[in-house]
Amino acid sequence: MKGTIILRLLIICSILSLFSAQAMGEPYPTKPVDIIVSYNPGGGADLSGRLLSGYFSKVLGVQLNVINKPGAGGVIGVREAMTARPDGYTMLLDCHATSSMLAAFQPGKLPFEWRKRTWIARMTKDPVIYQVRMDAPYKTLKDVAEFIKKNPKQLRWGATGVSGVGSPAGIQFFRANNISLDMVNRVMFTGESPVLAALAGGHIDFTGQQYGPSWGMLEGKKVKPIAVIAGKRLPLLRDVPTVAEEGYPMLDVHGWHGLSGPPGLPKYVQDYWLRELEKAHRDPVFHEMAEKVKKEVAFLGPKEMEEFAEQEYQKYLALAKDVGAK
Amino acid sequence: MDIFVLLLRGFSNALSLENLFFALVGSILGTLVGVLPGIGPTAGIAMLLPLTTLLPPIPAIIMLAAIYYGAMYGGSTTSILMNIPGEISSVITCVDGHEMAKQGRAAQALAIAAISSFIAGTLGLMGLTFFSPPLADLALRMGPPEIFGLVVFAFSMVASMSGKSLLKGVTSAALGMLICLVGLDPQLGADRLTFGSVTLMGGLDFIAIIMGLFAMKEVFQNVGARVGLISTARLGSWWRMIKWSEIKQSLGAIIRSTITGFFLGCLPGCTPGIVTFMAYDLEKKFSKNRANFGKGAIEGVAAPEGANNACTSGGFVPLLTLGIPPSTSLAVLLSGLMIYGLQPGPLLFEKQPVFVWTVIASMYIGNVMLLILNLPLVGIWARMVRVPYHFIAPLILLFCFIGTYSVRNSFFDAGTCLVFGFIGLFMDKLKIPSLPLVLALILAPMMEDSLRQSISMGGGSLAILWSRPIALALMGAGFLTMVIILFGRYRRAKAEVHLGTEEN
Repeated sequence: MKGTIILRLLIICSILSLFSAQAMGEPYPTKPVDIIVSYNPGGGADLSGRLLSGYFSKVLGVQLNVINKPGAGGVIGVREAMTARPDGYTMLLDCHATSSMLAAFQPGKLPFEWRKRTWIARMTKDPVIYQVRMDAPYKTLKDVAEFIKKNPKQLRWGATGVSGVGSPAGIQFFRANNISLDMVNRVMFTGESPVLAALAGGHIDFTGQQYGPSWGMLEGKKVKPIAVIAGKRLPLLRDVPTVAEEGYPMLDVHGWHGLSGPPGLPKYVQDYWLRELEKAHRDPVFHEMAEKVKKEVAFLGPKEMEEFAEQEYQKYLALAKDVGAK
Repeated sequence: MDIFVLLLRGFSNALSLENLFFALVGSILGTLVGVLPGIGPTAGIAMLLPLTTLLPPIPAIIMLAAIYYGAMYGGSTTSILMNIPGEISSVITCVDGHEMAKQGRAAQALAIAAISSFIAGTLGLMGLTFFSPPLADLALRMGPPEIFGLVVFAFSMVASMSGKSLLKGVTSAALGMLICLVGLDPQLGADRLTFGSVTLMGGLDFIAIIMGLFAMKEVFQNVGARVGLISTARLGSWWRMIKWSEIKQSLGAIIRSTITGFFLGCLPGCTPGIVTFMAYDLEKKFSKNRANFGKGAIEGVAAPEGANNACTSGGFVPLLTLGIPPSTSLAVLLSGLMIYGLQPGPLLFEKQPVFVWTVIASMYIGNVMLLILNLPLVGIWARMVRVPYHFIAPLILLFCFIGTYSVRNSFFDAGTCLVFGFIGLFMDKLKIPSLPLVLALILAPMMEDSLRQSISMGGGSLAILWSRPIALALMGAGFLTMVIILFGRYRRAKAEVHLGTEEN
């Protein structure tokens, strides 16, 4: 009799012990953590994922594996992250395109409630730069607007469809000038790289893209920057005025990247990442690594990030019809 | 000449033990990645990208670049031996390559693949070394209308790949286009043929389809036919397997495919896959041996293999001089460069000459290493045709599943591969050729994008397509080719009917 009671107690204890580590909340992480990037390797989001991954492995010895799950403009990767087990070992590389833009521009396609993710922190921003081709006759944003009004259906504007900053950046600009979309020729590309190549080759005239992907062309003077959406002029582009200086303070489309998790993430996981990311954004090593991939460090904690995403959502919702949302 | 001096200094750096070691590691991994069906250089480079946090920039990029061009050496191995393409750029090599293997000439095929790859790759590198800046500018001037013209020209190849029945060839191509439609419209995100499924919104992965249509189908067929071995020919030692006469015979093919591969490789969107088809087709038109194409013509192996290596060299032109990666693998490589803060672009050559020239020099070295690695291995690989099929078949299936899964970390893709294996069987029974389907799969997205972009550029009219000389020339060449081929078929068909009535 005693034997079976002891046996049962042993079994119960051993089962309970399986939960103890998680109940105690430490240690975490005990094995590599997957971070889902909803786009192909080599793109802006992927670079941010690798930035985080590289930093954490270098400074904390924590292994963060970048897992690329591209497709459907980001929906596939986000769905994967939203439906993963909330045990802290699957996280999402969050960004402007996987949150507010996705919700505003592809509402019919989301098999999940986008707000329900566990927001952790925003880490970097990527300012958008309005650019024209090198031999264009217009040199400022106001010039571009005038040109379009005087010569409707002449300007070729490059954009990247429903995901990416290109479309909303352009549309905001056109609206600010009361230009309707049928006065420009919208040429759509599948990514930032082809748009910039087309601009450099003179096949399109005007676009607005993130700083990171544009840097090579800008540095090599193959495209001409005419305004940047940022609080102050960029250190490496001192001659380029901000949109406020150019008379368009309302233009505010930009990229950002950060970390989120599936809904219902335990508190100890959230605390861990918040703590580490908070330290990271003060670390000069992180700043150096971010600079290499041309991202500006701009930290926001979970609550602020959630509010920020909501604001962005309202902003993008207003632009959705022109972007071509479905 | 400055460039010579810079290149020589690059060599002196590239010959350091550390850089040599990483070039070797990259070459071996690249060959491996090329041999394994389904896993391509994109996956290989992406998997090793985390090493960029541990290694200094030059050895790391040397290694990643070596994976990229090394994969083009390895890809032909399984194509020739087992009719299973290692990746898209080896699909067309299967046609003549496997025929040669069945005739007991596997070693010759493998050898000429290696030699052609080496010559083409090295010549392409010379183009990269001396002509990058002007080539890059030329590449930039190819905009959407020109790309559309190129695609129209490439599509004319469907006619020559259709075998006996043009109708079946066109059906196959149409099927390819239909498959391409599944997913999201690339420009506005409207869903097409997704039946409400989020997974289908991501589209069908074409590596999965190609692996299914070729690799899986092949295994299913051979297992069904109870194939014991692929070939029973006796094979001697490797250096006796290669005949100089055959190498001389292929030189024309190699040179022509180098030119095609290199120049097309500079253009964004021209992946090694597309280039191999075009080089094969061009060779078929100009070669003295054209009657044998499809039956084991050695030029049929030399041309695509040369083209894909010249294409990899060409791909570095826009990557290093403009920062524009013409293919996905190079896009991943680009991100590796950015992690080091090295911004490829017009100023890279000026600001980082040591880095650039060391990497370029090590590519020459890498090609030599790959030639040395692959030639002696020819004997070993060639003997694989004598391994009993019941050992090989499960391995092929395993690698196919691993490879197709690894593209997007998706089980759905692995499933697609399986389904297309069965579709491939079905198509074979109906004698519908699969090459036009593959061609359409690769070309249709480019065609749609470039056509829509051209129309937008032109403000909604098609006029732009015939107002630009290069675009017009390419489309004209395409139509002309189609007309010539169709006419040739018509005449042959008439002759056959004529013979038929005479015999009666």
